[in-house]
Amino acid sequence: MDAQNMQKAPAVMKETKNKIKVEFERTPLKERLKAKFISTFFLQKFVWFIFRFVLLLGISYVILFPFFSKIAGSFMAPEDFVDVTVRLIPKHFTLDMYKAVVTELGYLEAFWNTLLLSVSTALIQTFVCCLVAYGLAKFKFKGNALVFLAVVLTMVVPHQTLQLSLFMKFRYFDIFGIFKLLGGGVTESISLLPFTDLNLTNTFWPLIIMSIGALGFKNGLYIFMLRQFFRGVPDELEESAYIDGSGTLRTFIQIILPLSVPMMITVFLFAFSWQWTDDFYTTLFFTTTKTTLMPDIISIPKSLQTNYAGQNLYYAAIRNTCGIMIILPLVIMYLFCQRYLIQGIERSGITG
Amino acid sequence: MTNTKNAVKPAKKRKRYASLDKRKSRAGWFFVLPFVLSFLILYVPIIFESIRLSFYRMRPIIGGGFELEPVGFLNYQEALFVDPDFVRTLTSGLQQLAFDIPAIVIFSLFMAVLLNQKMVGRAAFRAIFFIPVILSTGLMESIDAQNTLNEYMDSASGINDGSGESVATDLVSALDVERLFANMKVGTELVTYVTTMINNIYNIVNRSGVQMLIFLAGLQSISTAIYESCQIDGASAWETFWKITFPMISPMILVNGIYTIIDSFTTESNQVMTFISGIYNTTDGNVISSAMSWMYFLIVMLIIAVVAGIMSAYVFYQRRD
Repeated sequence: MDAQNMQKAPAVMKETKNKIKVEFERTPLKERLKAKFISTFFLQKFVWFIFRFVLLLGISYVILFPFFSKIAGSFMAPEDFVDVTVRLIPKHFTLDMYKAVVTELGYLEAFWNTLLLSVSTALIQTFVCCLVAYGLAKFKFKGNALVFLAVVLTMVVPHQTLQLSLFMKFRYFDIFGIFKLLGGGVTESISLLPFTDLNLTNTFWPLIIMSIGALGFKNGLYIFMLRQFFRGVPDELEESAYIDGSGTLRTFIQIILPLSVPMMITVFLFAFSWQWTDDFYTTLFFTTTKTTLMPDIISIPKSLQTNYAGQNLYYAAIRNTCGIMIILPLVIMYLFCQRYLIQGIERSGITG
Repeated sequence: MTNTKNAVKPAKKRKRYASLDKRKSRAGWFFVLPFVLSFLILYVPIIFESIRLSFYRMRPIIGGGFELEPVGFLNYQEALFVDPDFVRTLTSGLQQLAFDIPAIVIFSLFMAVLLNQKMVGRAAFRAIFFIPVILSTGLMESIDAQNTLNEYMDSASGINDGSGESVATDLVSALDVERLFANMKVGTELVTYVTTMINNIYNIVNRSGVQMLIFLAGLQSISTAIYESCQIDGASAWETFWKITFPMISPMILVNGIYTIIDSFTTESNQVMTFISGIYNTTDGNVISSAMSWMYFLIVMLIIAVVAGIMSAYVFYQRRD
């Protein structure tokens, strides 16, 4: 046996410190290539690879083309829109539209206001949704299922249905009639407050109050996602923390939250960008033009108003330029955060 | 004697402190408190108010404020029988819904399976595919709705007058694929369904971002050991998909189906929703819009219940615990 093995063992040709060169009989390169590339298996794989690549590339094109056309259109002068030969590459390159959007439409003010609003609501929503989702995922108390049902209900009822009553609620804001009572609305004798109800429209308060209550835009979805994520976190982690004498809140903040950073970034990204481009709540709650927000800047600047042939397309291009300016911060943020987004989703391991 | 003393002490302690389960359930309530409070204080009144308002008629008083007048089911009657457009919009909207939902779910499942495979540039493709989730919502949607520029840029030739009709918009009919499919005798309905789906690809891609994310997460949670054993047993990719991936992902299909229904009937691009907000805006807070949206909501809830009922009969759960 030993002798046979010795014979089969390859002969060592050269030996250095790190490398060892061994001589053995190898199939010729031609044969090897043949075996590798001329086979149904390889062919199948190759065809699938090409098909998949072309398909993904095509759909990526479908997704990205509108952005390209918007960007291209935003650099064009009015002359280019009547010129049949001009498609994607502008002939008369100008920055007029951007200048007009920034100087005439109050872009910077809208940017600042929307940034404040979006950051505050997104931060609050992320934190509150984490709290609620953690409570739903990890604690078995009576009424857990009922609370989850309520969450689903808020997700299912479209806020457009509640449009009118939402507006009324925050136009005449009152909690259980307390303000009315204290303000002297019920009896004249009590008047501790100078008002009977609060007009919260045209301020950030409606959206912030809704965020604190996890009733904001698509918060049901965030709670659902986070709940699935927290369910995947092993119980042993918390149990060991409890044994070490940590309370539930401390466990949540010191153990659970650091674990769920990718997921929280995902939720923050959603909350931030959906608030940023939202025009339902902003037009509902901001009825005057005092606070400029993003929806207000979509209009035609005075200096660019024209009457001639390419008007339709030119105005469309201006609106698109507004759109580009609106989503520009989001694009930059997405570039930095997209890998967290995918990580967060992959780790959540949502199961039905 | 000492033994009994020791036995009594913990009993006393138990009285003073609540048991761990009780404390935990209290902590659970503490965590969900913000939601529960605001749900009870804000949301429930708003919903009741909205339902109540749909039975009232609102009249602006000179000098500010409103006067409410109970009218019973008049708003509903008016929406159904008097308004010329509501029923028509509703039925075509529901048709569209029935049309879009399978398309979106199938497409997002297919794309998620593709994006889950190992390949060159996977990260880049994923990043591109999730762009619509972040960017094509709200304002961008409303900008795109009146965007004639896009079609203009897309058209290969011909002068575009900005009316939105261009030569190359209809991708499929231009390539005569429609006729090709029609010759295959698979039924005209199916052919038109597929071709409209392909013509609407931009719309569908835009709306299937979250669904793709959910499917991708579901695919990630399937253990690779199952696939390995399948490979060893000599199953083809096709068989593996239908025998392993599809049953394992079926709970996600249920979730996504329901999410898609909810999402597509609450988006602002939905024609029924635009119609209702149009009525809300033109008549300055007319309450008919409330009645209309509650009817629409009830119909969609019914659809969700039916879909969930049918689908959950076929859903496969790996662990029954």
